[in-house]
Amino acid sequence: MMRVSALIADDEAAMREQLHARLLEVWPELDVVAMASNGVEAVELATRHRPQIAFLDIRMPGMGGIEAARQLFNRCHIVFATAYDQYAVDAFEHGAIDYLLKPVSAERLATTCERLRRRLQQAPQDIGTQLAQLGSLLQQQGTTPKPTYLRWIQAQVGGSLRMVSTREILFFQSDEKYTRVQTATAELLIRKTLKELADELDPDEFWRIHRSTLVRVDAIAEVSRDIRGRQMLRVRNHPQELEVSRNHSHLFQQM
Amino acid sequence: MQASQINRAVDFMREAFTELSKLWWAFFDWVAVVDWRKLAITWLLSWVFSAMMNTPEPAVWYFLLSFGIKVLAGGKRRAELMAKDANLKAEVATLERRLTEAQMAALQAQVEPHFLFNTLALIGRLIETDPPEAAKVHAHLIAYLRSSLPQMRAAGGATLGKQLELSRAYLAIMQARMKERLMVRFEVPDFLGSSPFPPMMLQTLIENSIKHGLEPKIAGGTITVRARVDGAILVVDVCDDGVGIDLHADDGVGLANIRERLQLLYGKDAELVIEAPPGGGACASVRIPYKMMEEA
Repeated sequence: MMRVSALIADDEAAMREQLHARLLEVWPELDVVAMASNGVEAVELATRHRPQIAFLDIRMPGMGGIEAARQLFNRCHIVFATAYDQYAVDAFEHGAIDYLLKPVSAERLATTCERLRRRLQQAPQDIGTQLAQLGSLLQQQGTTPKPTYLRWIQAQVGGSLRMVSTREILFFQSDEKYTRVQTATAELLIRKTLKELADELDPDEFWRIHRSTLVRVDAIAEVSRDIRGRQMLRVRNHPQELEVSRNHSHLFQQM
Repeated sequence: MQASQINRAVDFMREAFTELSKLWWAFFDWVAVVDWRKLAITWLLSWVFSAMMNTPEPAVWYFLLSFGIKVLAGGKRRAELMAKDANLKAEVATLERRLTEAQMAALQAQVEPHFLFNTLALIGRLIETDPPEAAKVHAHLIAYLRSSLPQMRAAGGATLGKQLELSRAYLAIMQARMKERLMVRFEVPDFLGSSPFPPMMLQTLIENSIKHGLEPKIAGGTITVRARVDGAILVVDVCDDGVGIDLHADDGVGLANIRERLQLLYGKDAELVIEAPPGGGACASVRIPYKMMEEA
């Protein structure tokens, strides 16, 4: 009887053990040669033990299952395991990639093992493009939007480092040395210049209205003209009026 | 005397003082706005009254005080008050609407399907291998769902004690799943349990800590929940030693909702402060005016 080697990767110990126990039941010839608790470890152990099959959980710390699979798919057969990934499960249904829903039932696992037994005769399928699609699908649905614009401002307050979300900020105003960050409840000084901020922040979120002022668009309450004909801007939750310089007055034409 | 009686007495004193200052300003505003003619009539009445009582001093003081206020602050204060009044009327309506909306959004905050399915999978496994542990996790899950599903949420959950109970249940489940990767510390004095605290704020901060701080970290780490009274402010901290805040990551609807509700409930008297401790990780802290008891 031919022995078959496999690797199991899941960040939860109980889930690793369960899959292991079930595999022993339905596929006695299978040797689980390695257990990993994250993607990095999975790739490492797979390189060392050269298993024929890898069971990978999708969500793991450090490196997820999809990412690990991209590095392993031409070396071994991949089966994903997940408790809940609506979109991913959808993608599996239509693709050639095999998957298991946790908790794994013996019957479902038997089907997968049957499929694997047949495939073991052949070289692993090229699932690179499918993995890439799957990866981008999970990203979109995702927990992490593209890291493009600055979303947090760091300010030293006494001995601690305050993190101010850009959503809290009403406006930035600079003088020669410092830039003042104004929120509804606090006023903080930072060393970043207005120029640097304007480059790093989302230009749709913050508008430059003056050489020394950046204002958050969502915080603008009203714009009016004073006696001298200058445009003055008021933000919500703060009494200070901000001048709109002539160069930027086009922002508020016809308002 | 019992502790709760002392607490009520202290709350009462604090309220009496604010009430007194309110009365003084109400009087001030009334003098500033009232017609000279009506003011003169009150002078006359106070003279008559004090003549009857044979003590002229209060009437003299009243006359000097009100005359002074009227002359010095009358016109300006009056214009201010009228403008404020108009603004207030418009703002109160909008504020009330926004508060209701924000509260609805927070209360409808759903139990994450990921969390639910993973926990159920864990219970399934534990039933086979360790039934007593399965029963424990199962009980924690029930406690968690009871206080976090909107349909199930009992009234009167808005105390720090109730919110901590919910968090303890949630963290116990996460510990059963993450094992040695998650350590939890609570540093909360017992007497703060009865203090009013808005629902689903602590929970949001803890979920954020796990999701963005500890889950991505291979070695895991510790979550510390701390509460203390600093002057008249109740400070509740949730700290982790995870991967820290990504400067380019959106702060998410959860934090935005906490900020919105704090502003609507307490105005400038409350805030959400996020810090990056020198040792790494993140610290979120909710600061609201401290009260010992919910109002009856």
